[in-house]
Amino acid sequence: MEPRGEVFVLGLILSIIVLVISVMISVWARRLTRNLSDYYVAGRSIGAINNGLAMVSLALSLTTFIGLTALIIQGLYVAVAVYASFTAAFIGLMVLAAPYLRRHKSFTTMAFISERYDSKTLRYISVIVMMIVSVLYLAGNLKGIGIVFFFLLGVPEIVGIVVGGLVVTLYVTLGGMYGVTYNQTFQTIVLLFCLMFPVAIVMRTLGASGWVFPPLGYGDMVPQMTEAVPHYFWAMVAHPVVYIAIFLGSFFGIIGLPHFVMRFFTVRDAKEARWSTVICVFLVGLVNTTVYATGFAAVYYMQAEGVDIPTAAYDYVVFILVEALAGDGWLALAVAGSVAAGLSTVSGLLMIMGAGLIHDLYGTMKPEVDDDKKLKLSYGAMFLVGVAVIIFSLDPPEFILEAIMWSFGIAAAGLGVPIVLGIWWKRTNKYGVGAGMVVGTLIAFISWIMIGYMGMDPVDIPFPFFAKYFYGPLGWIKVISVAVPVSFILTIVVSWLTPPPSEDLQRQVDEMHGWPDVDPTRYNGKGLPITIIVLSVVIMWFMTTLYDQFPK
Amino acid sequence: MNNDSRRGYKLEVWVTAVCFFIVAVTGGFFSSIVVIMNEVFFNQVPTPENLIAAYGETMFVFKEHLSVWGFPLHYFLLIVLSWIGATVVGAIWCLVMDRLEEKQRA
Repeated sequence: MEPRGEVFVLGLILSIIVLVISVMISVWARRLTRNLSDYYVAGRSIGAINNGLAMVSLALSLTTFIGLTALIIQGLYVAVAVYASFTAAFIGLMVLAAPYLRRHKSFTTMAFISERYDSKTLRYISVIVMMIVSVLYLAGNLKGIGIVFFFLLGVPEIVGIVVGGLVVTLYVTLGGMYGVTYNQTFQTIVLLFCLMFPVAIVMRTLGASGWVFPPLGYGDMVPQMTEAVPHYFWAMVAHPVVYIAIFLGSFFGIIGLPHFVMRFFTVRDAKEARWSTVICVFLVGLVNTTVYATGFAAVYYMQAEGVDIPTAAYDYVVFILVEALAGDGWLALAVAGSVAAGLSTVSGLLMIMGAGLIHDLYGTMKPEVDDDKKLKLSYGAMFLVGVAVIIFSLDPPEFILEAIMWSFGIAAAGLGVPIVLGIWWKRTNKYGVGAGMVVGTLIAFISWIMIGYMGMDPVDIPFPFFAKYFYGPLGWIKVISVAVPVSFILTIVVSWLTPPPSEDLQRQVDEMHGWPDVDPTRYNGKGLPITIIVLSVVIMWFMTTLYDQFPK
Repeated sequence: MNNDSRRGYKLEVWVTAVCFFIVAVTGGFFSSIVVIMNEVFFNQVPTPENLIAAYGETMFVFKEHLSVWGFPLHYFLLIVLSWIGATVVGAIWCLVMDRLEEKQRA
């Protein structure tokens, strides 16, 4: 797609309206912030609907508009499997972690790990892991806003990055978690409206009989599609363990990603945490299935109309389709929706990075500092983090979606495993968690450096020893099916071989599950850890099978 | 731990385990099952000439009689189970936990 030669006035106006409303919401929300708890967790006063909507926009980053459709065009089934897993993962997050974390009354993931295992060292390690996954997750989103400005609005990319970055920094700094929450709720509504309606118009133009409901409205177009592209629905392009790695990365990654988890610390109680997740998964699924329909429509459009969209422009296919088949008015809406999607994710990440630095790092090193001073420092830290992110976003990794998938893998091995075991197995102790976190994170992070950053072929990396099996489409994802199982195994085995945690720490587990009394036999059996170890070994072994049956 | 407490604990653990198993299947393992049990969902046919380099001499196309609302069964199940299926499983789990929480408070 060629950049616009002139400014797209309608799209620019709608995008500016989104930006201005975002700042106005934060200015309003600032009046609600009176103390540190208000600033970081919105006074734990958010209801299920509000939190559910906020989680939707946090989940649907700019990759929903830029990235996913490109992946679908190149290989529908694997791409859809990634997002299907991501959608269902919210229920995994809910049943394994969300309400229990809410009852723990921490401010952040890092605080939870530190308090559950009574270790300052683990707090520092988890802050480092949080910074790695947040920066990777963040990397493309602000850059993506710049791309939207450049290609679609005709405004220089750097203007988009700086304006988008400053707006989001301003409203996070000003409004704290109240501002972030109400903004994310607003952005979800914008995003749903600005995606569903233009895509419905595109489907109607292409002749889909069910165009009023794009997620499932294109079934009658399938025969023409398979006639032109017989392998379109082919599921067998990747080794089965790729799908398992996707499952591990999304289910435990989402538990480990601190900006998702932080949302559960803001709700009123465990019940609100549960139902907000159900609302979220329904709406995330609705949007994701609409994007699958868009990917389908793009391939159908190219085949039916003989249009050749160059590979480099696949990222913009939503906008190309809307412009060609729906018109400029709908395109302006889609652009505004994509700006909202980018802002919401960036704001959640800025919030957790600021909280991690002040509450978890500075607050632990200087425990004598009172909350008022921490609150003042938080404003400054949040602003500095925002500026640093803008500078970093001027030259981020190239492929947004891939960076995010890596961050899921690192978060799963480094933070997801200690959270899950800390909630469900009392015997888990700081030694086990330290070993599992460090080794699991290193496996995933070093692999990212070699594959994602240095561009090495996954099968050629010298570490881990399984690397020769990282072949085939998305072969690097198999790294997750090593990092997460190793993290689980090490945490369990080392915990078993070292002294159990104190009774006080074990009591936290009963409290997290809502029991008024303490019973040492609850959540303390051998069934769960043995099952996890067996499954972990089977998953790693499975990767070494079927070597000759899948594309290399 | 009294009997009511023990029952509540077992209910929590088992309902959580079953719900997690179901969403793990719908959200991840289902696709592996499709690949491993490919003969159920696909017919093996000669690969079109322009795709041989990427996919080999033969490839798999879905069985046309296995379709729902026009979609191939495996694709339909993937998108519907991971979305509506996961939402329903989540809602059921929430209802059970709401009741358990009331009992814990009592």
